[in-house]
Amino acid sequence: MEDVKNNTGQNLGIAALITAIITFVFAVIPCVGLIAIIPGIIAIVLASIGLSQAAKNNSPRGMLIAGLIIAIIASLISVSQIFVAGKIALKADKWKGDIHIQNIIKDIQDNVVKDLEDANISIKVESNGEKVEINTNSDKKDREQKLEDLEGGNIQKDDTLQKKK
Amino acid sequence: MILYKRKSSPRQSLKVRLRNEPYLLINIFFAGVILLIIAYSGIFSPEKNNYPVTCIHEKITREPCFSCGLSHSFSLIVRGRINEAYLWNLCGMRVFLFFASQLILRVTFSIFYLKYPVTRKQLIIIDCIGSGLIFLISFWPFIVNIISGISRPTP
Repeated sequence: MEDVKNNTGQNLGIAALITAIITFVFAVIPCVGLIAIIPGIIAIVLASIGLSQAAKNNSPRGMLIAGLIIAIIASLISVSQIFVAGKIALKADKWKGDIHIQNIIKDIQDNVVKDLEDANISIKVESNGEKVEINTNSDKKDREQKLEDLEGGNIQKDDTLQKKK
Repeated sequence: MILYKRKSSPRQSLKVRLRNEPYLLINIFFAGVILLIIAYSGIFSPEKNNYPVTCIHEKITREPCFSCGLSHSFSLIVRGRINEAYLWNLCGMRVFLFFASQLILRVTFSIFYLKYPVTRKQLIIIDCIGSGLIFLISFWPFIVNIISGISRPTP
């Protein structure tokens, strides 16, 4: 007697397997991982219905079981994306937004300005055996001293106009 | 009386064949999905930044996640601007190569499946193992990201 193959639930099995595999791929990607739970649940439902139908009619269940297992794993991965989101949020809290970055930029700016004020600049030019060397000291204190020397004793401390009597 | 066997149309016979060969049906479906992804990357441009899919992580945490810039990266790869694609997402090329390889594999395996019916079982096993390995290699940084997220939960 020939065995008649019953394919009840086979179509549901194919649908569940396809949905489960697509869910699995998307669940791993953090950007869309959380949404992947929706097709994951759909795949579980499809596989469960298919399994119940297959059990009633004694038809093959390999594809349905494969679809169900992949869908469950994919859904678990999708749920685990919540933890990844939590980790990112924690990182964001540690940084405390833009204020921290602004402080870093201000510190760097101050350091650069301070370095430039106390900088010693030396330029050497060499052409056809002739050497020219220019040294400049841009120290703030030196510049103040130089200014005082230039002004000498002719410093008018009180520059307000005298009232004519 | 002579009974003539009713000839089925090619469309009907294809339908019956696909119903009997779920492997082919799955391959066609996956090839279609991959083509849709490539079309998505081609339609939406990185200059206009008009991608309909937005990152949920970024919406929740206001911080870009590990896979942010993947759509941009895909679009740039499709347009041949590989260097810029790496700037948007370092894993973009890996993931794109996974989808491209799967498209080629779906077509190749379907041809082999039809051509050599004797080796069908072995072919499916090789496909499952091979595709699984390619998936692991391509998505390894994402898997590591998830594992590190689970192992160090928020307090």
